[in-house]
Amino acid sequence: MSSSIGEKCTKIKQEYDGCFNNWYSEKFLKGDATPQCDDLFFKYKECLMQTLEEKKLDTLIADARKDNPFPNASSSSSSSKSESSSKKE
Amino acid sequence: MKFFEATHRFNHSWAEVTAANWMKYPNEQCPHVIAVDVLDRHVDPETGVLRTERLLTCNQNAPALVLKFLGGSTLSYVRETSELDPKTKKLTMKTQNLSMCNVLTINETITYTVNPQDETSTMFKQEAQILAGSALSRFSSYIEDFCLTRFRDNAAVGRAGFEMVLEKLNKARQEASQQLVSATASAAVSATAGSMTL
Repeated sequence: MSSSIGEKCTKIKQEYDGCFNNWYSEKFLKGDATPQCDDLFFKYKECLMQTLEEKKLDTLIADARKDNPFPNASSSSSSSKSESSSKKE
Repeated sequence: MKFFEATHRFNHSWAEVTAANWMKYPNEQCPHVIAVDVLDRHVDPETGVLRTERLLTCNQNAPALVLKFLGGSTLSYVRETSELDPKTKKLTMKTQNLSMCNVLTINETITYTVNPQDETSTMFKQEAQILAGSALSRFSSYIEDFCLTRFRDNAAVGRAGFEMVLEKLNKARQEASQQLVSATASAAVSATAGSMTL
């Protein structure tokens, strides 16, 4: 499985990848789109966003999104994110 | 501006190819891709389409002369957005370079669809546009040609690498089913053995 751009994120990233790959073949392609890996994804994403800020790549990505938007990007709506952080609190 | 187009048929089902697509890296043929990150991902509640936004971190292996023009950085970043429709069985991936895009823009679109003539295989289509910016006007043709050649080489190598990933996954699947077969066989043998002792 591929590494993350943030060395410290690779472990959680690969856990998430494993979960997603299994979900993709065993659930999604069989017609069940119920999310299964959200907790892992939020943890991974938290680490990733921190790394992107450190490497100053966040603005580069934000600019690219302006030109070529990613529909319903969950980074702009924090609804699902707050759900996971509320679980932690 | 230069254009690149390629088509290929993978002798694997769409489900196998798209599953392998998420696991394409790392592969020995593409050591320049050093990290792949998922920036965002969700299933559209209305259409059921799986959308993914990824960031690929790559090592530049361009010659010193080209690197000099392109800013000299050894790392480059590529953003990929994809839409995967499980109903129509179509995966569309669009990529654009994030670094150096003021001097050079490469836009690529890849689609994976079921081969209408043979459902057990998958059609791959790749299109790319390469545009060197005005800052390079004197050299833009050279840069574009260089990038086109490099893109063509990388595309072929990338497909070969992907074939290897598909083969590996296929082998893993076969081994898993062989284990199942041998487990069933040994269960059958022990059942026979069991019946013999009876």
